[in-house]
Amino acid sequence: MDPVLQEIYRTVLDGAPFVLGAYFLLWLGLFGYAFMITKRLKGVEKELAVIEESVSRRGAPNS
Amino acid sequence: MSVGEKRFLGLGLYTWIYITLGLAAVLTTAALTMTFFFTPVVLADTVVDELRVIGGVPIQNQLLFSQKIFYFHVPVAMSSFLVFIFTALNGVRFLIKKEKIYDTKARIATEVTLLFVLLTMATGILWTRYEWGTWWVWEPRLTTYFILTLMVIGYFVLRNSIDDEERRATYAAAFGIIAFINAPISFAITRLVPSSAHPVVFRAGGGLISSQLIAFFLGMAGMLLFAWSVYQIRLREQDITDRVEVAKAALEE
Amino acid sequence: MAGTHANPRGLSVRQFKAILKKDIVMELRTKEMITSMGIYALLTMVIYQIALSQAGTAFDPRNIAAGLLWLAFVFTSMLGLNRSLVHEKDQGCLEALLLSPVDRPVIFFAKATGNLIFLLIVQALTIPVFAFLFLQQGTYAGDLWMIPLVLTMGSIGIAGVGTLLATMSVNTKGKDFVLAVLFVPIMYPLLLAAVSATTAAVLGGDGYVQQFWSGMGLMAAFDAIMLLAAFALYEFIVGA
Repeated sequence: MDPVLQEIYRTVLDGAPFVLGAYFLLWLGLFGYAFMITKRLKGVEKELAVIEESVSRRGAPNS
Repeated sequence: MSVGEKRFLGLGLYTWIYITLGLAAVLTTAALTMTFFFTPVVLADTVVDELRVIGGVPIQNQLLFSQKIFYFHVPVAMSSFLVFIFTALNGVRFLIKKEKIYDTKARIATEVTLLFVLLTMATGILWTRYEWGTWWVWEPRLTTYFILTLMVIGYFVLRNSIDDEERRATYAAAFGIIAFINAPISFAITRLVPSSAHPVVFRAGGGLISSQLIAFFLGMAGMLLFAWSVYQIRLREQDITDRVEVAKAALEE
Repeated sequence: MAGTHANPRGLSVRQFKAILKKDIVMELRTKEMITSMGIYALLTMVIYQIALSQAGTAFDPRNIAAGLLWLAFVFTSMLGLNRSLVHEKDQGCLEALLLSPVDRPVIFFAKATGNLIFLLIVQALTIPVFAFLFLQQGTYAGDLWMIPLVLTMGSIGIAGVGTLLATMSVNTKGKDFVLAVLFVPIMYPLLLAAVSATTAAVLGGDGYVQQFWSGMGLMAAFDAIMLLAAFALYEFIVGA
């Protein structure tokens, strides 16, 4: 870590860890969202596979 | 018709999404870490009201943190606007070709824009509070982003209040284009109209050294990759949801 | 744009006049738009009085006169735009116009001009009332001729883009709410420049002529760009 920055955080900018923490939380939220939509996407893919299979099974005897 | 059929360089869409998301995570983490722990402070040549000498470097309280915003907030803000270009672009393509896929693309792009615009506001407000001591200042960039947020929200309000699919797509495309044209005008005019309350305080600072440029570009690349991944995931999800509905309707017959 | 039924230029002008005349004749008969917008502006004045009631005698309303005026115009114009297009829709005029071989741009310019005229009339009525109610003390420091200029420049943008947005909003479920949500952020830059220019015209002071013209220049740029965009998009909107 940059020694100048370290000293600045200790002496002048004692609020800096809070800003850093807040940014980190936002970052976490961002990737949490990405994780969530990826899971959701997998869910609908499964649903689609199941439904398409039953459509083709039903369609086959008729045609 | 199989899922994930698009391939590029021999890898499926999913592999690409995982790669870009992972890369985005690594890059943004690197940018954040560099920003807060390694990148030295920029010394701006403004009037110094409280000067301290720390580690042999003279430092002014008010400007210590000001350039830290540059590495996380600015990439987010730039990404939001870059994604918004796709809203307008797909809007134009929809109006010309009248194909549903462009409407979906435009909508998803606006969704990602909304995500990034809100993130821009959040990081901006945090910084404002810390650097200027107030939560909100009607400063040109903040104001422009406030207006941009309202326009993006307006886009979704408009969509939600129309039932007819074709009309919804056309109106949304038109409003997306108008809003996209309006955003830079807003920015220019907030800067050019003389304001008695606040002079323009926000400056990028004089000259960036190489380690700062690296942190900035890492953050920028990470954010763009993240935006691309989220856009692709959401687009795919929408596509599949539409197909599920079609299949369900076919089953019910 | 509408290459399928290209009209000779003289015909377009005639059609433009016919649509405009229809709007004006209808307004002269019912006087609905002007009355409703005028009364709405008056009510806004009452609300200003409430807002300023505790400001004290030291406070000079001239300092915020431009802002108050444009605020009133924003609200009255939203009311007027909404009404003008709701009429059109309810009576099926727009659909009839679309069936007739009239160029879409002609419809847009005729509707926008009609709205512009009504807006300017309401503004011309509102300003003396506003001056009478709020600007009795203190002298007028700027140039009076600047006021109609800035009003016209602002109203062109409001009427032009507003006509496009109102054409969209009347076909939604939210109508006036949707219009407000779309209208205010889009008009933001124009209004900011308009208030700056109007303040220069009212207050005078150092370099007010320069401030006025720079505001006017910005408004003109906004009007040009946004009108062009609205004009290009209207064809798609009105057909959907």
